[in-house]
Amino acid sequence: MTLAHYLFLGSALFIVGIFGALTRRNVIGILMSVELMFNAANINLAAFNRFLAPAGVTGQAVALFIMTVAAAEVVVGLALVLMIYRARDTVYAEDINILRG
Amino acid sequence: MIERLAFYSMAALTLGSAILVVTMRNTVHCALLLGLSLLGVAGVFATLGADFLFASQLLIYVGGIAVLMIFAVMLLGRTADLHLRQVNEAWMAALLVVAITLAGLVRLVKLVAGVTAPSPAAPATRPLGLLMMGDFAVPFELVSLVLLAALLGAVFFSRKEETPPPPATRGPSS
Repeated sequence: MTLAHYLFLGSALFIVGIFGALTRRNVIGILMSVELMFNAANINLAAFNRFLAPAGVTGQAVALFIMTVAAAEVVVGLALVLMIYRARDTVYAEDINILRG
Repeated sequence: MIERLAFYSMAALTLGSAILVVTMRNTVHCALLLGLSLLGVAGVFATLGADFLFASQLLIYVGGIAVLMIFAVMLLGRTADLHLRQVNEAWMAALLVVAITLAGLVRLVKLVAGVTAPSPAAPATRPLGLLMMGDFAVPFELVSLVLLAALLGAVFFSRKEETPPPPATRGPSS
């Protein structure tokens, strides 16, 4: 296994996430795609740590911070989606266009 | 050999379920497959020898975020959603963007082709703990503040709008 294998996996996962974030109509689907992109970044960080700087664990520490921030992001995001659903009765991104609660 | 097998099976699990996550019509299936994809990423961490990341990926992503997504999907969905198209009409343009980005990323990855691991992986939990209490102490405290803010924000946003209760009628003594 070389570094390129892991980087290619990370790139492919990131690309799938971009595609989902651009094309899903459902807001929860967009959030899921963003999670996929976070995971791609984490794979890259862990791979760089393993192959280029095996003496330290800084890459893994940064990946841990990304996980924490992603957890916070998804909690706030889902709460916002819940509020929008209560106010507008829709979860589709193209219907949420009035910039007003 | 075993390492190769583990990497390819985990990569196939991750990518296959990720592609299904962004293309399937039923959002509940999407959420379940997201959990499977995150599980595959945990397996990739295991093949990288990142033991603590593997454990926290299982705890936070598979046990937390995927379950939260499933809850949200079940709270928000409608049965009519199962028959609606879940992909907007910009998917051709999105495919173009994706192809260009992938070509660029592959060119970048080719720059590091052939780099192999210099040494076998070592346990990372103890160095991670030392790092969090040493060099990364300030970001560690900041991220706990971020989590607290997210907790309060979630409670604030998701509580019901309450009209103030009518003033209680007191007894004749008032």
